[in-house]
Amino acid sequence: MAPLTPYTYIQCPCSDASTLGRQADSNSPRSPDDDELDDRAFDPRAPRSNYSLYPLDYLNYCEDCQQIRCPRCVAEEIVTYFCPNCLFEVPSSNLKSEGNRCTRSCFQCPICIGPLSVTSIESPPDPSLLAAPDGAPAPHSGPYILTCSYCNWSSTEIGIKFDKSNSIHAQLVKLNNGGTTRLTAKEHRERRKEASQDRLAGPPSALAAAASNGGENNEELDLETQFANLKSFYQSQLADAAPGGSGLSSLNDLGFSSPTSLSRIMSLYTGGTVHNSRNKSRTGTMREALISDEGLQIASLDESAAIQHLHSIDYSETITTEQSTNQPPHLGEVHPHGTSRFASSLRPIPYLLRTKRSKRCPVCRHIISKPEAKVATTRFRIKLVASAYIPTITIRPLNIPSSSTPGTLPPLQPSQFILTFQNPRFETINVTLATPAKTPGRFSSKVTVLCPQFEIDANTDVWDEALKDTSDKTKLRRRGAAGDDGTHQAEAGKIWERGRNWVSIVVEVVPASLRLDLLEATAKEDEDVLEIPMFVRVEWEVDVGGDDVGTAPSRDKEQTEERELAYWCVLGLGRVGQA
Amino acid sequence: MSRRPPRGEYIETDTGNKVARKANLVGTQNIMLGGKTVIQPEAMIRGDLARSIHPSSSSSGAAPGSNTAVAIGRYCFLSRGCCLRPPGRLYKGAFTYTALRVGDHVFIGPGSVIQAASIGSHVHIGANVVIGELAIIKEYVKILDGTVVPANMVIPSFSIVAGQPARVIGELPEGGHEAFELRELYKTVGNNPQPAPS
Repeated sequence: MAPLTPYTYIQCPCSDASTLGRQADSNSPRSPDDDELDDRAFDPRAPRSNYSLYPLDYLNYCEDCQQIRCPRCVAEEIVTYFCPNCLFEVPSSNLKSEGNRCTRSCFQCPICIGPLSVTSIESPPDPSLLAAPDGAPAPHSGPYILTCSYCNWSSTEIGIKFDKSNSIHAQLVKLNNGGTTRLTAKEHRERRKEASQDRLAGPPSALAAAASNGGENNEELDLETQFANLKSFYQSQLADAAPGGSGLSSLNDLGFSSPTSLSRIMSLYTGGTVHNSRNKSRTGTMREALISDEGLQIASLDESAAIQHLHSIDYSETITTEQSTNQPPHLGEVHPHGTSRFASSLRPIPYLLRTKRSKRCPVCRHIISKPEAKVATTRFRIKLVASAYIPTITIRPLNIPSSSTPGTLPPLQPSQFILTFQNPRFETINVTLATPAKTPGRFSSKVTVLCPQFEIDANTDVWDEALKDTSDKTKLRRRGAAGDDGTHQAEAGKIWERGRNWVSIVVEVVPASLRLDLLEATAKEDEDVLEIPMFVRVEWEVDVGGDDVGTAPSRDKEQTEERELAYWCVLGLGRVGQA
Repeated sequence: MSRRPPRGEYIETDTGNKVARKANLVGTQNIMLGGKTVIQPEAMIRGDLARSIHPSSSSSGAAPGSNTAVAIGRYCFLSRGCCLRPPGRLYKGAFTYTALRVGDHVFIGPGSVIQAASIGSHVHIGANVVIGELAIIKEYVKILDGTVVPANMVIPSFSIVAGQPARVIGELPEGGHEAFELRELYKTVGNNPQPAPS
């Protein structure tokens, strides 16, 4: 089992039951001796806790609400879309027309998702010939392919080559696997027109046309053509159904405010009493698509060819679930029923676009994080992170008795840990800690915070520290020490060490024995991890007036005001070993 | 306290670079260090793999000293056993090496092999990572241990990358940007290291 590095997770108040206005759920069964616990003691093992605990780095802080905000409760707004490969910013207008993938030449390998590069398949020309004409562009010519340098896949495996080395995306859209050019919907329509002209003004009814053509009309359509055919078919149906009104057949008939929609909705709610005559007539004349020209595509459920192919190939030539989900929908595909299961049909994946997002406080709607819009810059216009407002807590083992399994805490023996609190604020803060005497869960360990209340000095200028560092360090360190070097003992009520803007205290734990689980069922996953819920209350004084107006009730200058912030956090100390 | 070799384990330059005596620097005339960079023992930098073909006028005239193979910014940390190797590629039909540029505050973990074209500032590369040829890593990227970044891959800013081949598995939270600063780490190594601030 991997040793566990100590961690501190902080609970975002957005998931706190008390702030949600309901009673704390008692979903953790407690033994009777837990009665001295506050009813709302936080249980890090409760199923809900998984979703509310975050490392400090992930938390933001709203200055107006003076509260912690987590990724789950902030509202995000997209600032910029860009391709993660070419780092090209995509305007949101393009996004609507072209979709959420890069439409330049950025592709991922369909096999291993590594990046694909465009290479010429002409053998490289003789370098001696090239050295002569200086500055002349290399006469790269001939077909280009996409190759993956990681798994050596290349687009020749699916029979695709490109004429130009740029705008691969546009070229790829027009190519089917195997290299055949795909007919666009327009070309399909033109062909159909020619075909219908050949039929010398056949019967106007499509039914009759279907009858006369027989099975020939059930040609295989790709997705785009099928959609185009369906669309034109139903549009013509709508036009036929409302012969009088020319504009009624179009899409503006479908808006909520249009009279037909209104009457239709009214009829839904009134039980069909307001049916008007035109509605009836329309439903009467609508019919389904019957031939492929109208968008009918009969699913080919005959998979014998695929099964036959499976017999002849290796398992590795079939695609994994991941590979098939990574495949973007290809409009040139025949139809989604027969989505292939073979690696030989996978197409290069255009890169999904990535975004830069700003974050808003869910309560006051103030922006708490806003990156610069440009892709290349990494600066933030606004960045309110929690680590600038609440103390960071780091855990260090101090005195751990040797255990049978290395890297674990021996059960039933006291282990000591140093918690270091670092104050990021420019004010002195008072910290009050509270932990349940016994950790929640089936194996409850005893916890003692030796110094649950202390003061941390303000985070002064770094240069002050640098200047007085050498002289003061020895003085500042080990202020709470009882004796000299070797006999430094942790004492109740005293700080272990303190520095410029940090204080260390000692926590003693007596881990529970995991023996119980020999009798009961096996221990659940990670139940041997010793996690301590700890309630942290931070108090500080701020100068009222100046830039803090709006939050302060008093008008007087130079007056200080008490502020406080309280939250739950979880200290993960380590795994408890077997006794 | 560790036993110190009498001459000091590191050579400390005027610009504050701390280069271990046991570091393996080849072709030092082609290696540029921005200052305050730590190179630990057994780290290797292949400065000898400099450009062999010059894109401009004469291929023989340029002085070898101006031919930078590896350029490293300030406050970088090259851990034990890592290797920085300029990437090679075909240019006008002939094979040549191109420069490997590393920004500021770049941590390179032990045993990692770097063949990127450029690495931005504030990048953390874990242990035993392989970065393929001509990969481009932008600012504020964290690459977890054991990742294999394929050749030519571009990793945009604020990515957390892992896997073989590498894929972006997460986004760096804004609160984690401070952790990329390597000034404190720089102080903890050298001939008279300061203890890490707790």
